[in-house]
Amino acid sequence: MRVLVVEDDASLNRQIVAALTDAGYVVDKAFDGEEGQFLGETEPYDCVILDLGLPKTDGVSVLSAWRREGKVMPVLILTARDRWSEKVQAFDAGADDYVTKPFHVEELLARVRALVRRAAGHATSEIVCGRVTLDTRAGRVLVDDMPVKLTSHEYRLLAYMIHHKGRIVSRAELTEHLYDQDFDRDSNTIEVFVGRLRKKLGVDVIKTMRGLGYVVEEGA
Amino acid sequence: MRLRLPERPLANRSIAVRLAVSALFWSGVILVGAGAVLVALYRDATERGFDGRLLVHATTLGSQVATGREALVAGDPLFELPFSGFYWQVGAPGASLREIDTSRSLVGATLPWLDGPQAELGTVRTGYVAGPDGRSLRAVERTLAAGEGARFTVLVAAPADEIAADVRRFALALAATFAALGLLLGLSTLLQIRFGLRPLARLRAAVVAIRRGEAETVSGDYPHDIAPLAGEINLLIGSNRDILERARTQVGNLAHALKTPLSVLVNEARTGGGPLADVVESEAETMRRQIGYYLDRARAAAQVGTLGTVTPVAPVAASLMRAFAKIHAGKRLDLALEAPEEARFRGEKQDLEEMLGNLLDNAAKWARSRVVLRAEASGDVERPRLLLIVEDDGPGVPADRRAEMVERGKRLDESVPGSGLGLSIVADLAALYRGSLTLGESAMGGLSATLDLPGDVG
Repeated sequence: MRVLVVEDDASLNRQIVAALTDAGYVVDKAFDGEEGQFLGETEPYDCVILDLGLPKTDGVSVLSAWRREGKVMPVLILTARDRWSEKVQAFDAGADDYVTKPFHVEELLARVRALVRRAAGHATSEIVCGRVTLDTRAGRVLVDDMPVKLTSHEYRLLAYMIHHKGRIVSRAELTEHLYDQDFDRDSNTIEVFVGRLRKKLGVDVIKTMRGLGYVVEEGA
Repeated sequence: MRLRLPERPLANRSIAVRLAVSALFWSGVILVGAGAVLVALYRDATERGFDGRLLVHATTLGSQVATGREALVAGDPLFELPFSGFYWQVGAPGASLREIDTSRSLVGATLPWLDGPQAELGTVRTGYVAGPDGRSLRAVERTLAAGEGARFTVLVAAPADEIAADVRRFALALAATFAALGLLLGLSTLLQIRFGLRPLARLRAAVVAIRRGEAETVSGDYPHDIAPLAGEINLLIGSNRDILERARTQVGNLAHALKTPLSVLVNEARTGGGPLADVVESEAETMRRQIGYYLDRARAAAQVGTLGTVTPVAPVAASLMRAFAKIHAGKRLDLALEAPEEARFRGEKQDLEEMLGNLLDNAAKWARSRVVLRAEASGDVERPRLLLIVEDDGPGVPADRRAEMVERGKRLDESVPGSGLGLSIVADLAALYRGSLTLGESAMGGLSATLDLPGDVG
C-alpha cells in the first residue's frame, strides 16, 4: 500500500511517515502543496494524508485539482481548524475523512487503514480469502486461523492483492504501489516475493495470469 | 459656560414634523399679516369714498354760508329727520352754542369739533365723533373764509356703522378666502415634505433591510445630499465585515500554528515513553482543550452584531450530510434531510455549519442506522423563527443528564470542555443569535436536538 503524506511541518511529517512505515506502508512525502499536488497527479497512491494549511497551494485547492483530474484515491484531511465550515469545505472538495490536530498517530493509522479498506470495497477490518485471512487492524495474515510470520515487504504485497481480490494485478501496478518513487522499476523482485509468499502461506491463493500479472481468487 | 436650554420636544420629532410645524407657523403669520394689511387698506378706501359723499354736503353748505343765505339746507332729507345720524353744523370753532347753526336732525344739540390744531383755510379734515345718542359718526370738517377775515367751519357727519359693516363684510370674506388658502398651502406643504423626504424614508428602509438580513448593502440612487451617507453606511458595513474576516483568519492561523507543534509534542512523547512523556501528554491535552475552548468562544463573540446575513439551510445541510455519509461510510447510515428549499437562517453560514455540524456529528456517532434533520417554520409573521431538529435512533440521553450537556458559558475549571458532545458550543452559538438548543427524546428512540433560531421558511 502506497501512501502520500503532504504536511509542511517537518517534525509532524517525519512522525507520520515513521508511523506509516512501521505499519508496513510505502510512504512518499511532500512538504508543500505544489510538490504534493504533483506527486498525487503522477503517482498511484492507495491513500493520501493531506494537511489543509500548506504553503504554496493550500490543501483544499490541491484536493480539488486531483478530483478534477479524476483521481479517486481516498484522501484523509489533517486540519488544525476544527470548525465544521472548514471541514465541510474539504469534504465538498472531495475529502473522505478528517483528523483534527492535535492527534495521536495511532488514530491516524486507524483512519488510513479504514479508508484503504473502504476504497477497495471491504467493510470490515478482516478480509477473508478462503483459508487466508488478512487482519488489517493487527497487520497480520492468518491461514486456517493460525498467524503466518511475514516480512513487511511480503505483507504489503499480499495485502495489496487481497484488497483487490478477484482482479488481475499487474507486476507494474504492484511495483507502483509497493515501492516509493525512487525504486528501480525494472527489477524482478516482485516475482521473487510472490514465490516466497506462496511458500510461506502453503495455500495456493495467488494465481499467475501469464503475461498479465497475478490474481487472488475471491473464494480461493 | 452657557447653560444649555433643555431641548424642545419638537427638535426630537421627525424631520417631517419639524418641517410641517415650521411651514404652518410661518404661513399662518404671513396670512394673518397680509389679512391685516388688506383690511386696513380696504377700510381706508371705504372711508375715503364715504368722506367724498359727506364733502359734497359740506361744500354745498359752505357755499350757502358764503353767499349769505339765512336758512341753510343740505341736499338730503335725512338731515331733517331728528337723530337720523345725518348731521351738519356750521360755526366758528370755539364759538358759543348760539352762534352755531345745526341741522334739524340734531334737535338743538351740537357735535364736538374734530380734535387737532386749527386747520388751514380750505383744507378738509376727517375723523370720528360721538353723536348725541352716543353713536359713532364719521365726520368731515372744512374751514372756510366768510369775507373780512372771518372764518367758519362746516362739519358734516353720518353714521359710521356703514363703514364698519362694510369693512367687517370684507374682513369675513377675506378670512374665509385666506383660511382656504392656508389649508391648500398646508396640504401642498405636506405633499412636498413627503416627496422631499422620500429618499430619507428609502434610506431608512434600506438600513432596516440590512439589519433584518434581507440586504447586504444600501443600494439604489440617492440625491447628492444624502448619497454620501448611504456610501458611508456601506463602507461601515464593509469594514465591519473586513474586520470580522481578518479576526477570523488570524484566530484560525493561531490555532493552526499552535496545534501542529502540539501534535508533534504528543506523538514524540508517546514514542519516547516514560514519566516525562505522561506529563507532556497530559499537559498538551489541557493546552489543546484550552485553545479549542477559548478560540471557539473568541470567534463566537467576535461575530455578534454582524449586519444582515442570510444563509439558506438546505445547501449547508446537504453538504454536511454528504460529509457525514463519507465519515461514517463503514456504518451504512441513513441520513435524511427534510428541509424546504426556502428555509433560511438569519446569520452567518459558518455558524450554521458549526451548530448543525456538531449536532449531526453527535447524532451520527450514536445512531444505529438513521439520522434525520428537519427544518420547520415557527414564530409569527413579525418575528419568524426557524426550528432545526436533529434526531437519531441511538441510545438517547436520560432526561436528567440532558440539561448539563447544553449548559452554556461554563468556565474551563468548572467543566471539561470537549469532554461532552460539542453541544455546549452549539448552545453558546444559538444564544448569540437569541436562540436556544433544547434536547428531548426522539420518536425514533434516540436523542432529539432542537435549535430555535431566527429565520424563516419562505
